[in-house]
Amino acid sequence: MGSTLSCIEILTVLITKYVRRGSDKLNRDWLILSKGHAAPALYTLLAEVGIIPKEELVKIQSINSILQGHPDISIPGVDMSTGSLGQGLSFAVGIATWIKFKGGYGRVYVVMGDGEQDEGEVWEAMTNAVHRGLDNLLVIIDVNDYQLDGRTAEVKPKHYMPLIWRVVGWEVFICDGHDVVSLINSIDNALGCRRPSVIFARTVRGRGLKPIEGTELQRVE
Amino acid sequence: MIESVRDAVGMVLSELGSELDDLVVVTADVGRATRAYMFSRRYPSRYFNVGIAEQHLVNFAAGLAAAGARPVVCAFSMFLMRAWEQIRNTVGRMNLNVKIVGTHAGFSDYADGSSHQSLEDIALMRTIHNMSVVVPADVKDVLRSLPAIVKDVRGPVYYRVGRDYTPSITDNYDYEYEFGRAYVLEEGYDIAIISAGPVLLESLIAAKELKKLGVSTTVVNLINIKPIDEVLLESIARRCGRIITVEEHTIYGGIGSAVAEVVIQKYPVPMKFIGVVGYGRSAKNVKELWDYYGLRSEVIVKTVLELLKLDVDSDRT
Repeated sequence: MGSTLSCIEILTVLITKYVRRGSDKLNRDWLILSKGHAAPALYTLLAEVGIIPKEELVKIQSINSILQGHPDISIPGVDMSTGSLGQGLSFAVGIATWIKFKGGYGRVYVVMGDGEQDEGEVWEAMTNAVHRGLDNLLVIIDVNDYQLDGRTAEVKPKHYMPLIWRVVGWEVFICDGHDVVSLINSIDNALGCRRPSVIFARTVRGRGLKPIEGTELQRVE
Repeated sequence: MIESVRDAVGMVLSELGSELDDLVVVTADVGRATRAYMFSRRYPSRYFNVGIAEQHLVNFAAGLAAAGARPVVCAFSMFLMRAWEQIRNTVGRMNLNVKIVGTHAGFSDYADGSSHQSLEDIALMRTIHNMSVVVPADVKDVLRSLPAIVKDVRGPVYYRVGRDYTPSITDNYDYEYEFGRAYVLEEGYDIAIISAGPVLLESLIAAKELKKLGVSTTVVNLINIKPIDEVLLESIARRCGRIITVEEHTIYGGIGSAVAEVVIQKYPVPMKFIGVVGYGRSAKNVKELWDYYGLRSEVIVKTVLELLKLDVDSDRT
């Protein structure tokens, strides 16, 4: 629940304002929730915009529910089956590469976690994205300062991540991930770039649910 | 005349490139070694080299497939296995049309030694739901099967080939490739030898030797390991009553296991597995390794005779 609440504004802004849906794979946008454990946030937004029924939300993880614990392409509105960290960006690079090659106007949005930056595949993918000049690729990293075993600063520090992405060749933005205006400004700026862009969105884990806010707690006990 | 199995792969892909405008070839800094670069010469814009990054390679190809391309991944079999989880969780779970060509499999990379000798890949790929596994025996088999797999088979396929060594095995046999089928190369009634890949050669040699000893031997080319030809395997179990499998792969989870899974459920008969136990080692050529690990016709003949004797003994009691 903590990491669902940290990225709810990010997904709200993307899904209600930016992601253009459609059946044409090259001329619509893709949204990859690489931090698949925030699935409840994605499902809530998909329900809000009418892609899945709202009454399904409370059935999440039930044996007969369409809503799996992690995003699955069997669910309407889900573009990639995720849950295993570090894979979304590579997949997005593949989609963005083909769209660009075919001259489509589709964009690929990826929402990652800060803990996820530990995965080696992220390095493999982020370096390749720059090499391909993917200006149709936008990554938002939900920097909630926590990973499964505790504070990122303790498990494995990541304060240098924006510098690394910048040095590799990404256009880097930093914003307040709970401030919709800040998010929109950053995304608008990012979309005007001629390189792949990444937004480090500063967030608070469990935001809005006071007993768990800013802690590693998953839910109210 | 193509004398290298990887050259055959490169040639087939570059020929398919003109027919299929959605065909893309992706590799991980092994474009030269896998012969993927042969495609790049004719279609440079549809050739993607992601650097030494196999995990990304697999998911990058998955993304290409999701967006509508028809990717063929070319990399060393051994190092593709480090992306097993990417293959399982993204390519497999999403049932994406990604063809994965693993080259340098088995002992074909004889000099590089155990780090490069992929002896577990069939087992690993076979367990992934939606994934198919194809192991051609020689150049002729590649020419028969690869175009059909890239053009007509939807969904993920693991296509296992070696490096260069490719004795002529199936040139003199007349069959057209069909996905999911196995092929009887020699008909016999006393025992069946089921094999795939270059060691099929040793199975055919063993069958000739056994004929001299009065043993009538069926030899099957199990080019499609998954989906497997259950109907043919059952009929062979019924006809021959004893089966030996021969593989350039660990005996755990490979061709022997795949055959046994069918036979034990359809028509159980005594079986023996000939394959590798261990990690491999360096040698000066493939045949030295076949000798070292007992993947030779003499061993097959001996094993057949043991299995037949076992049968005779049990008949007496």
